[in-house]
Amino acid sequence: MSGRKDFLSQPAPENYVAGLGRGATGFTTRSDLGPAREGPSEDQIKEALAKRAAALGNAPPTAYGVPKKKDDEADDEQFRDAENEEGLFATGNYDREDDEADRIYQAVDERMDRRRKVRREAREQAERDDYERNNPKIQQQFADLKRELGTLSDEQWAAIPEVGDLTGKNRRNKQNERQRFYAVPDSVLAGARDTGQLGTEIQDEGMATEAPSGSADQADGTMTNFAGIGAARNRVMQVRLDAAAQAQTSGTDSVAGTATNIDQKGYLTSLDKSELMAGETNLGDVKRARVLLESVIKRNPRHGPGWIAAARLEEFAGKIQAAQNVIRRGTEMCPKSEDVWSEAIRLSQSHGNNHNAKILAAKAIESNNKSVKLWIEAMHLEQLPAAKKRVLRKALDHVPQSVAIWKEAVNLEDDPSDAKLLLAKATEIIPLSVELWLALARLETPEQAQIVLNKARKAVPASYEIWIAACRLQEQTGNTQMVSRVMERGIKALARESAMLKREEWITQAETCEEEGAPLTCQAIIKETLGWGLDEDDDSKQIWLDDAKASTNRGRYETARAIFAYAIRVFYNRKSVWLAAADLERQHGSKQALWDLLGEAVKSCPTSEVLWMQLAREKWQAGEVDEARRVLGLAFQQNPGNEDIWLAAVKLEADNGETEKARELLSAARSEAGTDRVWIKSAAFESQIKKDSDDALSLVNDGLNIYPKAAKLWMMKGQIYEAKNMLPQAREAYNTGTRACPRSVPLWLLASRLEEKMGVLVKARSILDRGRLAVPKNPELWTESVRLEYRAKNMAAANQKMAQAMQECPTSGLVWSERIWHLEARTQRKARILEAIQKADNDPVLFVIAARIFWGERKLDKADSWFAKAAVLDPDYGDTWAWWYKFLLQHGEQAKREEVVGKCVVCEPKHGEVWAGVRKAPENAGKGVEEILKMVAKELE
Amino acid sequence: MGSVVIPHLVTGWHVDQAIMSEEDRLVVIRFGRDWDPDCMRQDEVLYKIADRVKNFAVIYVCDLDQVPDFKQMYELYDTVTLMFFFRNKHMMCDFGTGNNNKLNWVLEDKQELIDIIETIYKGAKKGRGLVP
Repeated sequence: MSGRKDFLSQPAPENYVAGLGRGATGFTTRSDLGPAREGPSEDQIKEALAKRAAALGNAPPTAYGVPKKKDDEADDEQFRDAENEEGLFATGNYDREDDEADRIYQAVDERMDRRRKVRREAREQAERDDYERNNPKIQQQFADLKRELGTLSDEQWAAIPEVGDLTGKNRRNKQNERQRFYAVPDSVLAGARDTGQLGTEIQDEGMATEAPSGSADQADGTMTNFAGIGAARNRVMQVRLDAAAQAQTSGTDSVAGTATNIDQKGYLTSLDKSELMAGETNLGDVKRARVLLESVIKRNPRHGPGWIAAARLEEFAGKIQAAQNVIRRGTEMCPKSEDVWSEAIRLSQSHGNNHNAKILAAKAIESNNKSVKLWIEAMHLEQLPAAKKRVLRKALDHVPQSVAIWKEAVNLEDDPSDAKLLLAKATEIIPLSVELWLALARLETPEQAQIVLNKARKAVPASYEIWIAACRLQEQTGNTQMVSRVMERGIKALARESAMLKREEWITQAETCEEEGAPLTCQAIIKETLGWGLDEDDDSKQIWLDDAKASTNRGRYETARAIFAYAIRVFYNRKSVWLAAADLERQHGSKQALWDLLGEAVKSCPTSEVLWMQLAREKWQAGEVDEARRVLGLAFQQNPGNEDIWLAAVKLEADNGETEKARELLSAARSEAGTDRVWIKSAAFESQIKKDSDDALSLVNDGLNIYPKAAKLWMMKGQIYEAKNMLPQAREAYNTGTRACPRSVPLWLLASRLEEKMGVLVKARSILDRGRLAVPKNPELWTESVRLEYRAKNMAAANQKMAQAMQECPTSGLVWSERIWHLEARTQRKARILEAIQKADNDPVLFVIAARIFWGERKLDKADSWFAKAAVLDPDYGDTWAWWYKFLLQHGEQAKREEVVGKCVVCEPKHGEVWAGVRKAPENAGKGVEEILKMVAKELE
Repeated sequence: MGSVVIPHLVTGWHVDQAIMSEEDRLVVIRFGRDWDPDCMRQDEVLYKIADRVKNFAVIYVCDLDQVPDFKQMYELYDTVTLMFFFRNKHMMCDFGTGNNNKLNWVLEDKQELIDIIETIYKGAKKGRGLVP
């Protein structure tokens, strides 16, 4: 046979199951021939295996020892490692060779196991012991502590904090969420109502009357009052809603409830704020906040503020123990956080457990021994000074560089010499702390202090405080001239160290010195530093004036004075500096100082008449007339041709009743400084003294010879003639005047009025026409024309003139007011005034008219407010004040009148149609504002 | 004497190996007992055609007393049974006896046996499991 296969000569494997290798399946053709099977069954295989094994005389084959139950194996199969040898060859048959191999391996293993057994076991034991020592069981860890528990006192037992129940927490929470709420049965409500347990707030109106009947029903036991129950329910609901509404309106607390995100810091502060009303807070809010903070803590347990917030919340909710627990956990999680520790200490301390606070402080310091804050807090926990000192000593051992601790330590010392010793040590250790140096210097005697300050200066050359302190030391010891020298040296040294402050900062320092009572130092500082940092081209004068003003505003007059002194030294010839300095002295300084200053000022600026006048006025006001005269005499010498000084001198004499002297002065002035103003003043002076004196007239004439263009002189001439009742001469004077000065409105007015007075209306009209030609668009001339017409009862002509005037001057308040008041029907006035105010916005004359209209309608409040508006708009317009005063005479109270008069006096009005006339009348010269006000008010129509 | 020349399969393992080791020839196995007269006759025919069908079939004999493993699986209750396998697949053939699984009578016509073997081989090559 060619194709004889080699397998035919091979022996069959040990316990081969026929057909298994090729997965043979059987078939069934005839069911009567026996059980139809598919291939070798499980039982068959097992049987075969067992049979074979028995035949071989061995135990059934399993790798090592006891055979496993087949069921277990089936179970194990799914957990078997696919890579595993056992699994890999599981399909193969376990034959004699395998068994032998297993045995050999087992023997080898056993042998290996026996070798070095003792040594190995000893080593393993050692390793185990070592492991247990390194990772001890909790029980072993606390064994010693447990033993110590026996020594605890009852108080200590009580102080042991509670253990939080964290087991199954989530599940419990979930269960709580799944909690069910059931509607309260009617019977419960009714019962509660009957026993009066529903609270007092629902026991009102209907309920009070209903309750007895309800209980009666209940007592019968026969029927229930359902209507009553419903009412009770509604009432309960209402009460709840009311409470909710109140909570809503009560503010921010409810906001915390609705908001989903809570700003931690904000929440803390709001907690602080609301701590007072802990009783009113909603329990739900606390719960919500607690959940939030809990999650904060959980998510970031190393975050100190979260713990603090949680502890505060508990404290706020009144659960002190819980708060302490929380913060204790916090300290465990964040042992390096000062804030958490100090919060823990505060909690313990504020709830009376000072002892515990101390323990906490000790622990805190143990983990943060460099924390100044914690040391200080620990110090504050001690009551006895000795104990405090002890704590601070320890603190200094740990943190010798802390200025704060040194300061506390020094503060604790009662004996100055001890404090001195401490400070000396402190400055040795922290030579850079200016504070400590200064404190030491303050404690020492002056001589010693100087030495100390010198040392300090060497240690901290860049410190301006030390220099200032040195200056003040000199000042205190009375070495006044040393002050500025020290300061000078200081500035040089600081400039060398390039540690100069800014100018403004120096000024602040100077002000501080002044405040603390060291004016010399203040001056020295200003003197040395004011010019610092200013370039040549800077407007240093303005800057210094501003500085001085700012200092004055802050009430630091000494500093301002020093600044001025410096500025004056630099700008010796500048008037404005002197004026500002004089201003300061006048307001905040002594008279003598002011005089000195002004004397100096006039010496430096002899040509400044303002300074002279100020000086003279000051002297005069102080009652030293002779001094004032002397000053003015000096001024004359310096400024011979200045009319102001002349006139001031005349005024001085005239006011002092020295008419002759005044007259002399005036004549001297006319010859020396013969301006038109001097002439006018002279004439006015004469006419004041004597109404119809020829002196005045001759003066006017002389003046007109020199100054023919002076309208005032012409007016005066006319008025003098009028006063003398020499009307033709007056007319002549006015005519010549209008020709000489055609632009002078008052001259035209006077001329026309003269004609009117003489009864020659046509002439008056023509004069006004000429005036209007010469001065077009002048409201006063137009108004006068209108007035002329209606004074002559010629209303048609007045209206026609008014129309022209309105065209010429549409925005003039004067024209408008004339029209409204005299030419309009009463009913039309209001509409017109509205129109006028729109056209000629903000004219006080119009406002006064408006006020008068309201006054006429007896709307007093409105009238008053319009008067006030007018007065505010133009306080210089005297007629307003006069009208107002008149109004108040009728309708106001005394206090209000006085107030208005006072305001008027302050404002010193100078203008106004009637006001000016009254004020300028020769017989009213030298009268006060108040008198004039009263006269004007009387004069008004 | 045919049973002496035709290779014997002495264990179940050999039977399986014989069936699996053939790649492209039909495996024909005679289950029976060597001393049985029917078997002797059949073996005589098988021996005679063995060389003629060697290109597409290989013939083994298996003593049912020596290898009883397949008796139940293949319902080997007849004195002589011929079974056909191709690539570890049991080939069935409609012999008109009602049992398509095997040839369980003595077939002494050599040409007819060759024809049957050839027919089964051709069917098997075409991938059929049952040949007419």
